[in-house]
Amino acid sequence: MTPTLRGRWQSRLFLMGTLGFLVTIFFMIVFGSIAPFYLLVLVTVLGFFWDIVYTLIQKWRWDHDWPPAFQLGAGIWEMIVLAALVYGADIIGMAPRPDQFLLHYSAVWLAVFAGSQSLMRLVFPRWRYNGGQWLS
Amino acid sequence: MYNSSNQPLINLAWHHPHTGQRRMMSAALPVTIGRAADNSIPLDSKFVSAHHVRLEERQGEVFVIDMGSRNSVRLNNNDVSDESVVFHGDQLQIGPFTFSLEIPENSSVLAGPATQLLPTSQIQRVAKMTAHAAVTPVLPHQQPLIRDTGTADFPPAIFRKKIVPVDMLTRIVGEQIEETSYLAIGGGLGSFVWVDHLMVYGVKRQDIVSIGFEPKPYGRYRRLCRNSQIPDHERLRSNSDSCPDNLWGWPGYAVREIWDNTSHGRLGQAARIGWQIFNEPLVQTYTPKAGVVFDSIDQEAARIGWDKIWRHGRVRAVRKTDDGRYVVAYSLIKPDGSTEHKLILAQFVHLAVGYPGVRFLSDLQEYREKTGDFHHVVNAYEKHDEVYDHLEQYGGTVLIRGRGIVASRIIQRIQEARERSGRDIRIIHLMRSPNTEGQKAGLAQRAVDNHWEFQPFNWPKAAWGGDLRKKLENANTKTRAELLDQWGGTTTADRLDWRDMVREGLTAGWYSIYFGTVLDVRPHKKTGQIATKVMQNHGEVALAVADYIVDATGLEAGIEGNALLKDLVTHYDLPRNGKGRLKVTNDFALIDMDNGRGQIYASGISTLGGPFAAVDSFLGLQYAALRSVDNLTAQNAPGLRRLNGLRSLNQWTRWARGVQP
Ligand SMILES: Cc1cc2nc3c(=O)[nH]c(=O)nc-3n(C[C@H](O)[C@H](O)[C@H](O)COP(=O)(O)OP(=O)(O)OC[C@H]3O[C@@H](n4cnc5c(N)ncnc54)[C@H](O)[C@@H]3O)c2cc1C
Repeated sequence: MTPTLRGRWQSRLFLMGTLGFLVTIFFMIVFGSIAPFYLLVLVTVLGFFWDIVYTLIQKWRWDHDWPPAFQLGAGIWEMIVLAALVYGADIIGMAPRPDQFLLHYSAVWLAVFAGSQSLMRLVFPRWRYNGGQWLS
Repeated sequence: MYNSSNQPLINLAWHHPHTGQRRMMSAALPVTIGRAADNSIPLDSKFVSAHHVRLEERQGEVFVIDMGSRNSVRLNNNDVSDESVVFHGDQLQIGPFTFSLEIPENSSVLAGPATQLLPTSQIQRVAKMTAHAAVTPVLPHQQPLIRDTGTADFPPAIFRKKIVPVDMLTRIVGEQIEETSYLAIGGGLGSFVWVDHLMVYGVKRQDIVSIGFEPKPYGRYRRLCRNSQIPDHERLRSNSDSCPDNLWGWPGYAVREIWDNTSHGRLGQAARIGWQIFNEPLVQTYTPKAGVVFDSIDQEAARIGWDKIWRHGRVRAVRKTDDGRYVVAYSLIKPDGSTEHKLILAQFVHLAVGYPGVRFLSDLQEYREKTGDFHHVVNAYEKHDEVYDHLEQYGGTVLIRGRGIVASRIIQRIQEARERSGRDIRIIHLMRSPNTEGQKAGLAQRAVDNHWEFQPFNWPKAAWGGDLRKKLENANTKTRAELLDQWGGTTTADRLDWRDMVREGLTAGWYSIYFGTVLDVRPHKKTGQIATKVMQNHGEVALAVADYIVDATGLEAGIEGNALLKDLVTHYDLPRNGKGRLKVTNDFALIDMDNGRGQIYASGISTLGGPFAAVDSFLGLQYAALRSVDNLTAQNAPGLRRLNGLRSLNQWTRWARGVQP
């Protein structure tokens, strides 16, 4: 995949709003807490900013692409920043247990990663040519 | 094409390979060519068999028949295995000789009313020909005459018009002309992918016809792969999700290979591929095996019923009709090898005729023509396996020109021969100039190692579906050509085994690189090998002596190399893009060929220079198909419904289950 900025934003919104949301509801029920939902919103909103940074990094690569390994690296990086905000700055006012945080975050990341590799292509056949845009 | 005694005639023109003298001859068919004196055209060359070929007429068509010669017969750079129909303008190669064939039309046509429509260029050609060769005043026509329809020639004289009136055409032919909604010309990968898209979008099989030479959509492609030493078990230079058999590109070939290995218990291999795609392109990019791609196309062909869509034939001309469609003249090739002239009316036409031909470096072409030696100076895209067989038996030196992907593969093949036979086999790699710094574009730069420049595919990945694709689409004609020059160029895949083999060869000394410009190529008197005189970059002249020369510089040829495209472009005076190819819209519709509701689309190398860089790739063919079929859907073309969301998902599940679209 060689995402563009608009493509990144659109895909992030779609995948967080569908697969990410389903996974989050599951964890809200299991943990009996609303915290996973706040985390989902926070990571999505922060992501819009990270996407700008990632698109700039792409321009340094000859292929302007974003290899899967970079996708994983970005996921880890975003988690570190999120944890700092949640545990350090207490931004959502209710810090979840660290093991629950890790479990939820990883599950959402995996669902979104898998979805971007498969589901998006099947539901939006033009997505892969449009840098990840599913709206035209 | 008949003389006064009503015998069919043929005109042949050729150059003598040694003296360069031009010869012309007009003869009544049948004509035989060979080394023996009893041939109609005796040729003095050891590369010509005693009785090499025979040209004869059958039911209004001219055929070339290989008389079981030990030396090959080639027609327009393709091998003729047994026999083949030949057409006006074809090039017949026999040993060092290349014959231009002219199949003149019956002189009585000169008096007919159709003469007015004849372009002046052709009349001049008649005059020139008669002056040189003193043939009976015959008219060289675009295409040979058809005898079995009585008065009409083929394509009918009415094809000289810009817009063909359908009523008149029906009257001339005297029968109802076949009709179809969609016609895919070429029958290769581009046609197959387009037809596949149409069907997934909802078009019924009986509304589509495809005409081409090869029963398998990958027939021509596989031959080019094999010639350039990519057998079925070798890996291509292609992305995992470039799947000519799957509109969505998922699961890609990597996922399928992982699945296949897992289900056969080869977990280690499965994990290795998983690790590779995860790390690509940082370590090495995954590419599928050629054979796996062919098998997947066979499966998809069975699913969509390709055998009922495809017809064996050669398309001769396409014309606009007065009812907003197109009429297409083609020669149907029947199972027994005989041909029949046919017309078909189509509302929407797709043109994917592939590479027009193989191109040689001019000095090598000259060498071949002068010496008649077609065995030691070869093009990487033509069949040349005997080179490796010979090397494995006797050893020897190979000089390679060009440093792209094909050159990499040829060197790998020679390395295999070295290892297998233990013979002393050496490679001289001739390059025009050193390359120590990769191409730059914006903030990025390509990697270089030992003068080889790398990129995973032949264009930056973002040109397929990222920001560079948009950039090219939004650019004007001139900028498009510039961007393509910047992104393309001669590169090879960054394969670790290739890097290693170059390094090892350089250290061990069996592979060496020379830089310079070729002054000439000629037989080496002392050794009987081939000597290439090179002006080296530091000003010294060197002589590179080798047993073989392999030209790996490319397949590029202008669209004029394809008779059908040439006819279309000249007849309608079509505009060209910045690379001299067909000018298409962003939806791949041919500019100036729209006709009322009708539309002609194109894909493949003949559209290079347009809105998309990687037109000559699996994914490029898929992209062009998607754009053109979307465009057709927007025009409410018959049978099409927009493919998106659940409908797309539903079609994918049909693909996954192997049921027809
Ligand atoms: C050696 C090699 C390796 C390649 N590797 C890759 C790769 O790994 N990945 C990738 O994505 N791309 C690759 N390509 C590029 C590209 O995908 C293929 O060339 C592909 O076959 C192009 O499809 P096409 O339909 O344009 O041409 P083709 O598949 O060649 O089909 C065109 C057909 O039209 C027929 N035709 C021509 N004129 C007429 C006429 N007048 N009437 C009827 N039929 C006619 C021809 O006989 C031919 O069969 C490779 C190309 C080559 C040469």
